[in-house]
Amino acid sequence: MKKLRLFAAEELALALRSRWTQIFALVFAALSAAVAGAGYVLSGGQGVQDFARTAVSLVQLVVLLVPLTALVIGVLSLAPERGAAELIYSQPVPRRTVLLGKLLGLFQALAAAQAMGFGAAGLLVYSQAGSEGVGGFVLLVLASLLTTAIFLGLAALLATGAVGRKRTRALALALVVWFVAVVLLDLAALGIASVLPSGPASRVLMVAAIVNPVGAVRTGALLGIEGTGAFGAASLALFRFTRGAGGVGVVLGASVLFWLVVPTLFALRRLRRADV
Amino acid sequence: MISFRSFSKSFGAQLAVDGLNLEVARGEVLALLGPNGSGKTTTLKAAAGLIVPSAGAVMLGEPPRSAQEPAAREVLSYLPQKVSFPDALTGREIVEFYRELRDLPGERVPKVMRFASLNGAGERMVGTYSGGMVQRLGLAVAMLPEAPVFLLDEPTAALDPDGLCAFDALVQHAREDGRAVLFTSHQLGDVERLADRFAILVGGRLVACLSASDLKDRLAERGVMRLRFAPVEGRDWTAEAVLPAVRPLAPAASWSGDELIVPGPASVRPRVLDLVRTLGIEVRGLTADEGQLGELYRELVAEAAPAHGEGAK
Repeated sequence: MKKLRLFAAEELALALRSRWTQIFALVFAALSAAVAGAGYVLSGGQGVQDFARTAVSLVQLVVLLVPLTALVIGVLSLAPERGAAELIYSQPVPRRTVLLGKLLGLFQALAAAQAMGFGAAGLLVYSQAGSEGVGGFVLLVLASLLTTAIFLGLAALLATGAVGRKRTRALALALVVWFVAVVLLDLAALGIASVLPSGPASRVLMVAAIVNPVGAVRTGALLGIEGTGAFGAASLALFRFTRGAGGVGVVLGASVLFWLVVPTLFALRRLRRADV
Repeated sequence: MISFRSFSKSFGAQLAVDGLNLEVARGEVLALLGPNGSGKTTTLKAAAGLIVPSAGAVMLGEPPRSAQEPAAREVLSYLPQKVSFPDALTGREIVEFYRELRDLPGERVPKVMRFASLNGAGERMVGTYSGGMVQRLGLAVAMLPEAPVFLLDEPTAALDPDGLCAFDALVQHAREDGRAVLFTSHQLGDVERLADRFAILVGGRLVACLSASDLKDRLAERGVMRLRFAPVEGRDWTAEAVLPAVRPLAPAASWSGDELIVPGPASVRPRVLDLVRTLGIEVRGLTADEGQLGELYRELVAEAAPAHGEGAK
């Protein structure tokens, strides 16, 4: 554990000094504050939205920006240059300790960067609208952290195929993964659903929302914040499909758990056998 | 301390190292030579546990343990060919990180920083370092643990004269402490000065392994003695007069200008001198040059190259 913490601390220091992380923190803070402030503008200066409404508005920002930054910053950090990788992996430390430590450090750094954004939005909302609906806002923060962890695991999987080399290829793959998870899968599901009768169409949309990690986090967050009103009739269909609220929780939880654990396990397995 | 046991490594269809058997003992400095792509770096990386052997094994320490086991790597310190560090950390932070990783006492840090002449630059970000400074930082990190096994891949490539002195001292210190050092280099001067043994890889195969005394003998065989004689009135010291007498001892002897040139092993030279004296010739000048490692190396590589084709990865 001491070695793992050491790698985490080094990675945290590096990530906090990285201009990529700093840019992400500033952009995320600016956009979060803008989204929170937009409610004030839209209400004609009558006051900003409460925490719950702001959280719903921020969900889309989270699912767009957080996977992208976790993938890009993750691959850049977890696929070091050859000379650095050779020196690290020749140390008397298991490779899994190196990878898990670095993942932990990156997670801490990205969480700190997101804290700036959520903090800015949260302060703005609290100063204008009080603490009503703060539970939904906390749920969004948790969803954002889960998304970060999931996409860092995917970044690890891509990076371990490029230990000490092929870094550019891993970075390009990271962008492809982001595009597929955040944009393409939703579009494909909508396209398929549009040519199917309503029953099968809603099942396609529900399966797409469950299987895709972005969809699972988004669906879980919105249901958690807004309840069955989140998707109107589609929410009820989802509850029927999964046999009730407990079923929704289990299915979405299983999907998130799968994406949290499996890519990281594959990354560890890949790294164990990799020639550095 | 380091034992390659029928070690082979392939990258796809490319055979990089083929059935290498080689031992490096405690207190021994072994230089691994060979053309580019002959498998030197692959060999070192296998000993550092960085690549998985396709066949055979690489063992470290006493008792021997596979280099693939993290715990076995407690005994080793490795300096990669092109060492690099994160730009956003200072030299001291990097050395401190590796010190903590190896559970070493804090006083090692200033010691190795001083040894690698990095004291003045320790608080600067590595991104501001020159190539030679990064290499010296790599040496500092490699020196930290005082490990029984040292693996150094072209350690002198980017070093300035001060860095070279530090490296020489490091190797000398390691030898005196009874550590095993395995290093690669294309700088034959470094190799000849530092190594106790020389292994030559060509096309992934070990084609020669010479001890320092073997090497000395082989180089002496390639040596040349030059003799100049005092002129004596009425006597003819030309080639026609001297060469027929000398050639039974040194068949390659020749005459150039006013010099008798006697190539061949050093053991022949006293006998040639005795013969010359018995002919009543007074020797006015004598020089003897040993053979060059570079020549011997090129000869051994050329002998092996046709059999093994082009160098491996």
